[in-house]
Parts: sequence; C-alpha cells; structure tokens
Amino acid sequence: MKKISRRDFLKVAGTSLGCLFASDRLLSLNADDGNRPNIVVIVLDAFSAKHLSLHGYPRLTTPNIDAFAEYSVVFHNHYSAGNFTTTGTASLLTGMLPWKHRAINYDGVVNAKVVKNNPYTLLGSDYHRFAFSQNPWPDRLIGQYYQDVDRFLSPAAYSLLKGYNPTRVFKNDRTIASVAVNSFLMPIQGGNAPVGSSVLGYLNKSQILNFSSEQKSPRYSKGIPEAMNMGYIIPYLNEDIYDGVYLELSQLAFEKKPYFAYFHLYSPHYPYRPRNEYLMMFRRDGYNPAAKPVHPMSNGLSEDYLAGQRNLYDKQIAQVDDEFGKLVSELDRSGILQNCYLILTSDHGELFERGFVGHGFQYMYEPVLQVPLIIHAPGQTRREDIFAPTSNTDILPTILSFAGKEQPSELDGRVLPGFGGQVDEDRPIFSVVAVDNPAFGEIRKAVISMRKRAYKLIAYLGYEQMGQPFELYNLENDPDELDNLAPEDAKILSVMKDELFAYLDAANQSFAGK
Amino acid sequence: MKLAKLFAGRLPNRQNILGVYAVIVFLVYSWTLVTSFYKLPSWMFYLTVGQILSVYAYSFSVDFLESILVLAGVLILDLTLFLALRNMAEFQSRSILMVLGVLISSMLRLILFPDYEQIEMFLSGELTWWAISVPVVLVAAVAVSKIEWARKILEGVAERAAVFLYIYLPLSFVSLLVVLIRNLS
Repeated sequence: MKKISRRDFLKVAGTSLGCLFASDRLLSLNADDGNRPNIVVIVLDAFSAKHLSLHGYPRLTTPNIDAFAEYSVVFHNHYSAGNFTTTGTASLLTGMLPWKHRAINYDGVVNAKVVKNNPYTLLGSDYHRFAFSQNPWPDRLIGQYYQDVDRFLSPAAYSLLKGYNPTRVFKNDRTIASVAVNSFLMPIQGGNAPVGSSVLGYLNKSQILNFSSEQKSPRYSKGIPEAMNMGYIIPYLNEDIYDGVYLELSQLAFEKKPYFAYFHLYSPHYPYRPRNEYLMMFRRDGYNPAAKPVHPMSNGLSEDYLAGQRNLYDKQIAQVDDEFGKLVSELDRSGILQNCYLILTSDHGELFERGFVGHGFQYMYEPVLQVPLIIHAPGQTRREDIFAPTSNTDILPTILSFAGKEQPSELDGRVLPGFGGQVDEDRPIFSVVAVDNPAFGEIRKAVISMRKRAYKLIAYLGYEQMGQPFELYNLENDPDELDNLAPEDAKILSVMKDELFAYLDAANQSFAGK
Repeated sequence: MKLAKLFAGRLPNRQNILGVYAVIVFLVYSWTLVTSFYKLPSWMFYLTVGQILSVYAYSFSVDFLESILVLAGVLILDLTLFLALRNMAEFQSRSILMVLGVLISSMLRLILFPDYEQIEMFLSGELTWWAISVPVVLVAAVAVSKIEWARKILEGVAERAAVFLYIYLPLSFVSLLVVLIRNLS
C-alpha cells in the first residue's frame, strides 16, 4: 500500500476543508458583508521580472506562473520603489515612496507618523488579517502594527526550526524586541559586530548553527535553503513552506469574516539552493547574455561567476514556480481561488551583471527594480495585459479599492489600471535607495531612479566615486540599459533632472534642517 | 528536604556570593554595553531615542537573567563538583576565576567568529575549544585559589566590583519594568 506523504495529507485535508467552506464563502461574498472579497498577497523575495519567461526571458523558468497569468491581469512594467527588502516592502505595505515612509536603512522601520498607512490597519476589523514573512525584515515592519494582525506567524514557521524564535514571548512589542534580541543580543550572524549577549547569545548561536549544519537531505545536494538576514539563519524546505501557505489559506477559509493574508516567502532569494531535480535545468542551453560594463562601485565579479550564479538563480526560480503552480492548482481545486484576489509580486529583483550579484547597494538597473505583478480577480477567466509603468506603492490603494475602503490622501500610490485606475503616461515612477541617510533627516546621499514614458534616469547623489552622476536610458530602444544617453541628450536629461529634484525637494521639506 | 538542608548548610556566605555575582554582573553588562557601541550608530539612523532606550531595556533585562543563570551555574558547580574540596575560604576566588575563564572564553569565540562566512570555523573548532578551555579553567581556578596573594587580589576585585551592583541592578529593575510595560500595553 502506498504510504501517504505529508503533502498528500495536506492536500486531502485542505481540499475537504475548502469544499466544506467554499459554498458558504462564495455565498457570503455576495451577501451582506459589503461584498468584501478575500485578498491574498504572495511576495516572493528577490524575484526579478526580468527572469520570468512570462516577460520574455529566454529560459522557460516559470511555466506555471505563465499559466496562472492566462486568467489574471499581468503588469509588464511594474517597479519596486526600493532595491532591497526593507524599503521595497515598506513601499508595498504603506503605498508610499521611501522618502515618505522612511524605512530607508537596511534594518529600518516605517516612520511612526505614517505607519497607520498599511493594509492591516486600513482594512480594519471588517477583515480577518493574517501575516507570515519568512524574511525577518518585513516581519519587523508588520510588527509595527501587530495589534491589527489577527494571526501573525513567526518567520521560522513551517521551517525546519519549527517556529523557534527567541522573541516569541514579546508578542506586543515585536519590532523593538526583534531589534534588541534578534539583531543585537542573540543574532546568529551579524556582520562584524559581536553578539551582544555573551552567554545566552552564544548558546543561541551555537545551538542554531549546529542544528542548521546537521540539516542534510539527499534531495538537496547544494545544501538546505536558508533564510538569512538581520541575525537570523532559518533553514527551510520550499515544499514545507508552500504546504504551510496552503494549510493557512484552508484554515482562513473558515473565518466568518473575509480575510486578508500576506505571505512573504524567502525563495528565490540568495542562497540559491534548488532541489536536485532542478540542478540539471538550463545546462548548456546556449543562453549567454551580453556582458555589460562593470559598474564603478561594483567589486568586478567575473562574467563566469555571474553566469554561474544566474544559472543557480534560474533553477531556484524554476523550483519556486513549480511550488507556486501546485499551490494555485490546490487553491483552484478547493474553491479558494475562485473567491479571492490573489496577488503575486516581489519586493525587489536581483542583478547578475556589471560585476555584481544580488540586490541593494547602489544598483538601480531594471533586473533589480522590475518585479512581477500578476493579479487574479475572483472568477477571472481571461488574461489582461497592462504595459503602463506601475509602482509597488500602487498595491495598497488597489487592495483598499478591492475592499471598498477609503484611500488616505497621503499615499503616493494609485489604484492600478485594470482595477479601476487610469493610465497616466506622465506619471514618474520612482525607486530610491538612501541607506546612507538617517531616517529622520533630509535625503542627501542617495541613488534615485525615475522612469517616465520610455526614459529612465538614474541619479547618483553624493557618490563621488561615480564619475558620471547621471545615467539616462531609453528603455524602449535599449531595454538592457547599455547606451547611457546622459552625455548626448542634454535636453531630456535636464527636464528629467528638474522633475526628480522637484520631487526630492518636496519630500525633504518636512525634514528640513534635521 | 534533607537534601535542601544539606545544600543550604554547604552554601558559601552571602557576602562571598555577592562578590562573585558582582564580577559576573560587571562582565556580562560591560560586554553588552561595549558591543552595543557597534550598533548604536546604525540604531541612531532609524530608531528614535525612546526606541533606543527600549533596546537597552531589553538588553539589561536579558543581562539580568543571564547573570542569575551564571551565578546559579557557579553555585551548582560548587555544590557538586567542588563539594569534595570543602574549602569555603577559596570559594570566592575559585568562582571568580571560573567565571572569568568561561565568560572570556565565550566572548573570545564571539569576537573571533562574528560573521556568516566563519560559520564553518565556528562549528569545527567548538568542541575542541570547550574540551580544552573548561578543564583548564577549572583546574587553574582550584590551583590559583590556593595561592594566598592571588586569592587576596581576586577578593579585592570582588570587593571593588560590588560598586557595579549599585549601578546595574537598579538599571535592570527599571529595564524589566519597561519591558513589562511595553509588552502589557
């Protein structure tokens, strides 16, 4: 007799639960709860739109997401407002640009004055609100309004650590406790700063590192994937994480109220450790993108190294795509998909060019800023494509419009086209990296990208090592950003510079003199 | 009951225990303070003064718990491993040396392998490190505490470290209160 695996059990359990609730929920969607739909946001960390076959990547990395797109709205020019998790996620959750929400430092938090702008607080108690972030940075951001989260999982939930987190007792002060305990007193790894607690910190570090190193699986010959950030190391298996997502969604279906669920999943973030069956993919497939000029601030990694890392990343994406495909088909089978908005996106992309691998730092090129955004509406059966540039600050206003909630006037984002929003050709789309500035003062040293119509301006403000502080690209003619037009197209450069500085000055005004 | 009475009778006097505790407090809290200076500049970038003080409140609360645990460890060792020595006069110096040895050993490892890249090195040498350092510290503690002038120096250290109890313990109680309030509100 065939042994029933954990995944099979979850499928059967989830499907049964889903069927039980589905008819009831479908009815209630049209009943007297103000037609408030369920909303599910799935953020895949460091997921570059440029690596999706859906968006023309030469490798077939995402056949399942491509299939999901066939009955969803696909945004082809969607930008994160930041090039690393904290800033990008804060913009997604607050609907504001980094110079307003001020989570601009790597382990920063949203300014207390504007933190009320988030889906949890704004959706209010009409919704059952759920949060799970494998990445501790978004967990810390959501921790700022923990009181508005009805179910809030630990970053280690569904991981091999089985939810272990030394700060779990500080439920009502999650953000500051996390800064103190996870980042300072008991970090597992933490840059060059030693652990702040000499005994408990040591024991915690030793215990987790020993545990992590013991996690071996013949199915993962490259090693077990680990979420590592801000002092954490959390070994996990993607199959368990996606089973967890399905289980949580199945349980949410039993809620009397409509639900809002935010899942921030770590993969395909570095370290890229795909399961064995993906390791043979894309080998010797002839894909060899053109080398790009080495960035003046990069450490000049070789093209061979970049190609190796790019291959691993693509394999990791292929695995994530499979897991996502299974999740969607299970949600479909159980009736959950028919009754929710399912938003698939990312917090930022990933770069494998110009002598650099990863994200963050001062790189604002398309692969690190362009992220996927695919939204499936309840009952949607046909695909719609939106080519107008959009920002991840648009996600909160769109969620609020789904729920029929009022839009706070201070949001930078707008309701997305395809869901009631209008296409505005003249709208500048900003992305900002300003890690070298205090969160409470003017932004003086930053890299700012502004996309407007076909053009993209990258301004390096305060970085003297950049000989040329402006880069200007025509993305329609030059999608790979190879031909910097700044030296020759002075007129466009000047107009775009003026507009960028006008926005920055306006944003700096409330911090003048600080 | 009999066991408790037996142990109670063998416990060193309160003054000696306080002397050892003062050294533990000095080491544990000072380490946290010094290492916090690595983090303070970045905290000042994104946390308000109130939030930074709250981080210190968590730190001192954890330090308080940590210092109690270390003291408990010292007393347990004294009531078990060192029971045969039956030498109360050496308790303070022996315990101070043990505390100094073990804590400094732990701190050294934290300084030597702070980063992710050194995980392999941290793990591969761990067993050997402790297998050597703990017995060496224990033997050295027993041996050195038998030397009268060394014992006098260590007792002097304990006496002077007592001043830190007056600083850190009230700070810890305030910190515990802050943590409690933040988590109850």
